[in-house]
Amino acid sequence: MVLIALAFAVFASALPGFTTPFSLFAIGRQIGIDTMIGLAMMAVIVTGGLDLSVGAIGVSAAMVFGWLCERLGLPLAVSIPGALLFGALLGAINGYTVVRSGVHSFIITLASMSIFFGVMIFLTKAEAFRGLPPEVAGLGRLKLGGKVSALLAVSLAACVALSVFYRFTTLGRRMLAAGANPRAAEISGVRTGRMIIACHALTGALAALAGLMVTARTGAAVPSMAGQLGQDWLLPAFLAPVLGGTLLSGGRVAVFGTLLGAAFVNVITSGLLQLRVGEFWIQACLGLILLAAVLADRGRHTILRRRGLV
Amino acid sequence: MTAALEVLHASKSFPGVKALDDVSLTLQPGSIHALLGENGAGKSTLIKIVTGLHRPDAGEVRLNGQAVGFANPRQAVAAGIGAVHQERNLVTRFSIGENIMLERLGAHALSPIDYGQIHAEAAKWLALLDLYIDPRRPVSSLSVAQMQLVEIGKALALQTRVLLLDEPTASLTPNESQVLFGILRRLRDDGVAIVFVSHKLEEVFDLCDTVTVLRDGRNACSGVPLKDLDRQAVVKMMIGRDERIAKRAPRPRAETAPYLELKNVATSAGHRDISFSVRPGEIIGLYGLVGAGRSELAKAILGQIRRTGGEIRVAGKPAAIASPADALHKYGIGYVSEDRKQEGLILLHSVLGNAGITVWRRLSNALGFLRDRTIIDHTAPVLRQLEVKTPSVYQTIGNLSGGNQQKVSVAKWIAAGVKLLIIDEPTVGIDIKTKAYLHDLIHDLAEQGTAILLITSDMPEMVDVADHILVMSGFAIKGEVENDRNYERVSQAIMGFIHDNASTGAAA
Ligand SMILES: Nc1ncnc2c1ncn2[C@@H]1O[C@H](COP(=O)(O)OP(=O)(O)OP(=O)(O)O)[C@@H](O)[C@H]1O
Ligand SMILES: [Mg+2]
Repeated sequence: MVLIALAFAVFASALPGFTTPFSLFAIGRQIGIDTMIGLAMMAVIVTGGLDLSVGAIGVSAAMVFGWLCERLGLPLAVSIPGALLFGALLGAINGYTVVRSGVHSFIITLASMSIFFGVMIFLTKAEAFRGLPPEVAGLGRLKLGGKVSALLAVSLAACVALSVFYRFTTLGRRMLAAGANPRAAEISGVRTGRMIIACHALTGALAALAGLMVTARTGAAVPSMAGQLGQDWLLPAFLAPVLGGTLLSGGRVAVFGTLLGAAFVNVITSGLLQLRVGEFWIQACLGLILLAAVLADRGRHTILRRRGLV
Repeated sequence: MTAALEVLHASKSFPGVKALDDVSLTLQPGSIHALLGENGAGKSTLIKIVTGLHRPDAGEVRLNGQAVGFANPRQAVAAGIGAVHQERNLVTRFSIGENIMLERLGAHALSPIDYGQIHAEAAKWLALLDLYIDPRRPVSSLSVAQMQLVEIGKALALQTRVLLLDEPTASLTPNESQVLFGILRRLRDDGVAIVFVSHKLEEVFDLCDTVTVLRDGRNACSGVPLKDLDRQAVVKMMIGRDERIAKRAPRPRAETAPYLELKNVATSAGHRDISFSVRPGEIIGLYGLVGAGRSELAKAILGQIRRTGGEIRVAGKPAAIASPADALHKYGIGYVSEDRKQEGLILLHSVLGNAGITVWRRLSNALGFLRDRTIIDHTAPVLRQLEVKTPSVYQTIGNLSGGNQQKVSVAKWIAAGVKLLIIDEPTVGIDIKTKAYLHDLIHDLAEQGTAILLITSDMPEMVDVADHILVMSGFAIKGEVENDRNYERVSQAIMGFIHDNASTGAAA
């Protein structure tokens, strides 16, 4: 929090263009999208695993959305839930394979990332859906109260919903228990395998939502919107939750921390962009931040271990 | 004579708790010093201050008259202080041998490790403890008691002049403890200074020379010769009043139909021909030495170990229990694990998050929503009755003292409202006062109609709580003893069955 304020203050004073309404709106919109991507990854980090296929799932779900409303002409009220369900299904496939094979999710989702993306490119012939209903692009441009991006509001709402989910529902609590100590959770009557599948499915649904948000920003569902294999999403996906304080070893989440993490990253990136630092340096800088965040996670882990908590 | 080790006026606070307040402890060479106190009195904290795991807020530690302050346990070992901590600290992926010799593996980072020598050396220390297992086996394959012995072997292998033992006998049976005491007495005669923490007062009077009692983080006494005190005096210093001695009358055998019935059950763990039944309202005890296969039998009932023969019936019908979740949600069967760190608790989560885990499903509304308040209302009575000492229910449970963690790990199942509860070593590390409360709770549960299968290595506990006692040895049931609460008769009958088996086993 302090870091964001600091970074913001530095850039605001150094760059006259930084605090213009348009710039703020664009940053807010990107924070919204990155938060959603980060939340998607967070939902699976809960199990102590990860999901490299978030980008592939997000894009695939966005393409399914495009197909549902453009080709089939279905209303948004059907095609949006349809796309989310599709994302959840892909996630559940990941989860099922992880539980069944006992192989670490890194390997499984590395494979499924290529498979999902490959099949998507094959089916869409790499063509975008550009004839979406105007409401979609409208949402991407919508400014609530004349300032705040509607996409940021969507992510805020998701944060609130997830916080409630992890704190006040049995499913959320069981997910955390299974992530923190699978053996103890199992003995206490939690079906650990099912929980892992459920976590992956939740990741898939959130990734799909992120895909739809990107679609709203561009106004079209484009196969290349997350880069080759959806890899462009990976950096924000890990940066936001880990910076936010979610434990990589599982069992503890920081929902609003993820939002702050995404905010921090975006303030830095757009600040550097406006300073006209090269794209390459920005990537390197984000990589360094990720490294620092992971080291901080190791530090948290060591402290917990010293106190005998893990 | 200079003291081997002195702690002078030590204080230590944690957020919300003053764990130690001006505590002193003086340790003479060639003596075994008991450190006693209720759960949460500060015993483990005091030991951790000596070994450098915690830094005292005030006070100092002196070794052979010299002030020392260790930054980590490794420095303490180098200075000649060995310790067995209350929590297990083994690297479960490593072999037993590697764990025992761990401190010496690091001597030269790059020199090749001679595994043959390491395992031979480790086997020597294990043999001293009467533990004959292959030191090449990974620690993860051991039972809780075996892990405890390995941990003790690891401390002995350091051959230090000061040895701190925090509840080393908590999960051992009397036989294994006696072997350990033999070793400790020899060390004492060699001039080693030993601190011994235990909640089993019989052991303390048997073994120790002097005693320091802590109460709420303060000295109730410091370095008093034990022969000047009797049990009542010690108990009074620990809990501030006399011990309540409740002797329960034998209960008439229930006439109802069995809730759980095992018929000629065999398992992949090696059980043969196990048959017994538990009726609602009945407390069946399962006694046996370490390695008798009792916890494994519990796991077989829960579906975690494969059944290879025979039949399990619940409420009169054949039951197919595939997982603990099945056992709990379909058949109302719960299991209090003896291994609270690995299987009992989620150390990273709060007291509340642990206490309520078994009832989340039952307490939540149709949409799966659940408020903390509901869980607190449901679990608080049991937590209060067991006097769980914590700054708040939101405290991370790993920060509680060992005994208080144990209380929660049992409480979460007492609150679960199951029809059959399998309780595995419930009072490990629990102080004598709470032990009596816990026995009351188990009795109340039975009176309300819960069927109870009690596994314990604590003979007095067995005689005090169980209605009937099954004796298990070598993965088979060797006999059944009617419990008339006559300690002498019952314990001799039990040991008779066990030794019977040992002699036939030796002949075979
Ligand atoms: N890391 C920690 N953080 C916060 N509180 C702690 C921590 N370690 C210990 N405490 C608190 O300090 C007090 C003393 O704990 P300690 O473990 O020394 O008790 P103990 O005498 O060993 O009890 P037991 O018989 O249950 O093992 C307890 O109230 C405990 O909750
Ligand atoms: Mg302790």
